Amino acid sequence: MEEGRLEELLRVIELCRSVESSSANPFDVDIKEKILLLKSRLPEWRFLNELLVDSEALLELTQIVKLQDEWLKHRASSLYIDPLLIQLKVKLLPKEALTEAFVKSWHPVAQVDQISPKGLERAFVYWRDLAPMAERFKDEFSNYGVKPGSVDYEELVSLGVFTPSQFEQGLKDLHEELLEKSNGEWIDYMEFIESPEFETRVLRAYLLSFLISEGRASLRTEPLTGRVWTTALSEKAKGPSKSVAISIVGGT
Amino acid sequence: MESADRALLERKVRKAFQVLVLQRGRNPGVKGWEMKRYLGRDYRKIVDVLSEDISGLGLEVFEVKGADGTDDASRFLLRFKEPPTVSEAETSGIRIDDLAVLAATIAFINSKQGRAARREVEQFLREKFPKWRIEYSLDRYVKRGYLEQDDRTMLHVGWRTRAEVDEKTLMTLILSRAQEAPKK
Repeated sequence: MEEGRLEELLRVIELCRSVESSSANPFDVDIKEKILLLKSRLPEWRFLNELLVDSEALLELTQIVKLQDEWLKHRASSLYIDPLLIQLKVKLLPKEALTEAFVKSWHPVAQVDQISPKGLERAFVYWRDLAPMAERFKDEFSNYGVKPGSVDYEELVSLGVFTPSQFEQGLKDLHEELLEKSNGEWIDYMEFIESPEFETRVLRAYLLSFLISEGRASLRTEPLTGRVWTTALSEKAKGPSKSVAISIVGGT
Repeated sequence: MESADRALLERKVRKAFQVLVLQRGRNPGVKGWEMKRYLGRDYRKIVDVLSEDISGLGLEVFEVKGADGTDDASRFLLRFKEPPTVSEAETSGIRIDDLAVLAATIAFINSKQGRAARREVEQFLREKFPKWRIEYSLDRYVKRGYLEQDDRTMLHVGWRTRAEVDEKTLMTLILSRAQEAPKK
């Protein structure tokens, strides 16, 4: 029952909004009738949400009154021409004729869009007093602007990224995983280190680089395709080693 | 007029020209309250003198009334006294198609009592222009102030159109040209 009564107000709101968001005639809304409806229903409202809907309906009706005012002003102005007539005529005209009509009624703004000597002086003073980038953000971001470099194992331990025991365990787990997955065959390096989180992917690549350096895993690259293969070694490899740089991109 | 008064007036007129000709901020023109700050309370007299002075150069000072109709909210700007020719407009780098889109849009909005849903405008223009050009042109004209788009995606004529375009002349020309069309 209560919802049914509120539905009337919701319909009023919906009607007003549809008129506001289209070029429909605002006089299609019978303001007097809707106000009387709100007035008759007002004593029945007891809850806050009902009163809020009522005030919203009233607000929407005021918007329609505003539109009616604009509508009348426009219609009374010399710009009023029968809509169908003007639309038909615009459709009939070629683009060139439309352009010509526009240009003949156009008074372009004349303005100089350039810097003044005063502006130039202010810009110079600003530039002169501006601290270099590296100094400007020093306090906020202490390492802002530092070029990429290498972080070794000791530094990671000192930074608290992991403890020595966690690191050893991580190496052992990864080696076992590689042994199991490769099973004596070459497997795709990128697929092996793949993880939904970028951080985990980097950590796996970092640990794998340790296994390769220690000779517990090996790496093979295909220069033509750019693919990288890896495999686990059950015994430590001997012989000359070669350094390979592999970039790991976030979001891939 | 004494020479001191004349010198003061000339200085103020020069200042008014400088203030109006140099773009400050994103939109061209200077608000009434700014003119008062730069030129004093009698800035309208200065504007009248300036408008007369620059008339020989084919320019005029034009006032666009603000939303509340007060002097402070009015926008003053320098504009061409007479419209340019089509070839002059073309040499300024404006495409014929773009101007035709604007002309048709203004006419359509005016025919709808000053407001029209953007989708209606797009649908109307689609008979003459490709979709991509319509969207591009409408966005551009909204950005440049020729059209205004409210939060209900209703399009209105923008302040720049009110400043630069004689809408009555435009509507009359469109109507009269259409009447000539069958003769061709």
